[in-house]
Amino acid sequence: MNISFMLNGEKVELEINPNQNLVDMLRLELRITSVKKGCELGECGACTILLDGLPITSCLVLAPQVEGKHVTTIEGLEKNPLMIDLRESFIENGAVQCGFCTPGMLISAYSLLRDNPHPSEEEVKKGIVGNICRCTGFTKIIQAILDTAERMADE
Amino acid sequence: MRPLPHFEYHRPVKCISALKLLSSLNNAKILAGGTDLLPQMRDDVFNPNHIIDINNITELCNIEKKNKLISLGSTVNLLQISNSSIVKENLPALHEATSQMGSPQIRNRATIGGNICNASPAADSAPPLYVYKSEAVIKSIDETKTIPINQAFKGPKINCLEPDELITEIRVPIPPPHSASCFIRIGRRKAFTLSIVSAAVYLEMEDTKCIDARIAFGSVSMTPIRVHAVEDLLKEKEISDELIDEVCELTIDSVNPITDIRGTAEYRKDMCGILVKRAIKKTLELV
Repeated sequence: MNISFMLNGEKVELEINPNQNLVDMLRLELRITSVKKGCELGECGACTILLDGLPITSCLVLAPQVEGKHVTTIEGLEKNPLMIDLRESFIENGAVQCGFCTPGMLISAYSLLRDNPHPSEEEVKKGIVGNICRCTGFTKIIQAILDTAERMADE
Repeated sequence: MRPLPHFEYHRPVKCISALKLLSSLNNAKILAGGTDLLPQMRDDVFNPNHIIDINNITELCNIEKKNKLISLGSTVNLLQISNSSIVKENLPALHEATSQMGSPQIRNRATIGGNICNASPAADSAPPLYVYKSEAVIKSIDETKTIPINQAFKGPKINCLEPDELITEIRVPIPPPHSASCFIRIGRRKAFTLSIVSAAVYLEMEDTKCIDARIAFGSVSMTPIRVHAVEDLLKEKEISDELIDEVCELTIDSVNPITDIRGTAEYRKDMCGILVKRAIKKTLELV
């Protein structure tokens, strides 16, 4: 079947099988490999992207379900000031080790700070609860998010 | 991970179209949030020939306050419920439950109808819906019926729906003033975890006297349950610390949970006693 949707601000038209999920469509058909596959159960968050602006696990969305919708991956936020600051903050704080959780983690962090610019540490933890990191122990990720929040608040 | 089975995908935009599809297609599953369906399809629990995506049916995705009740469309997602001021002000236990279910990503997709139809005994939306005496509106092509919410849960992962039926709406009567409610649960960690025990308490008070008490638990039986014997202990009584202790003891005797990977039966029994005590105290503060 054919679908048409917005991907990072550009219109995409594609022929797909309905039983392909969004993460596979993005990775295999559209070569957006920043979106990672971890569990395919919605539990690890590695596949997190924004669908109509909301963070969701793309492993639980079927390809045809994005018809008419806006899909945003980290590529689509490359010029976004909040995302730019977050990426710098992650690097400065050592919040990236193997990098596998990072795209999904950045999407969740971006969404958290966009909706709650002054989160407490507890709120940051709750904001990223859907993203597992096996390397950093989370502390540096949390600190990176808090640092960005502080910097953005100053502006 | 095993791939998803092959199926035909349908995308009705009207409720009636979804009902026609359900009545005419063989081996069809409804897709709402997909947070329970897709993992179970990969696990071979379901192998549908047809998937009916109901996320584009506007009739099903509204939260409305009508007269004396609150109507939740079955495809309303958990984020919408937890963000709703109508729900927060009138149904605080449901607000509390939905705000902590899953993760942000899950809450952005998972629906109230799906949580009920998945019929896990650990469904966190259930204890609040039970104590609010909610009802589910179920439609098929021929019929519309309304059932008390507890009748939707028949057993572990078994709901009451016939193959051609769809839950379209959850109706919750607005609690009167001088009532309060809360939701409380324990899990193996603070968030994004299945409940080991969950509890909702609803109390209607006249000063310090309890006029009505409703107590529901999740994860301690084959379905979420009310504990009527314990509720009766509270009704028409002045609530004292001694009474709360009695309630705690009777609760422990009234529940028969199982031992599973999340906890032993003994632990769950004890936790029911602890949670009911905490929930009653918290509710009394809110009245």
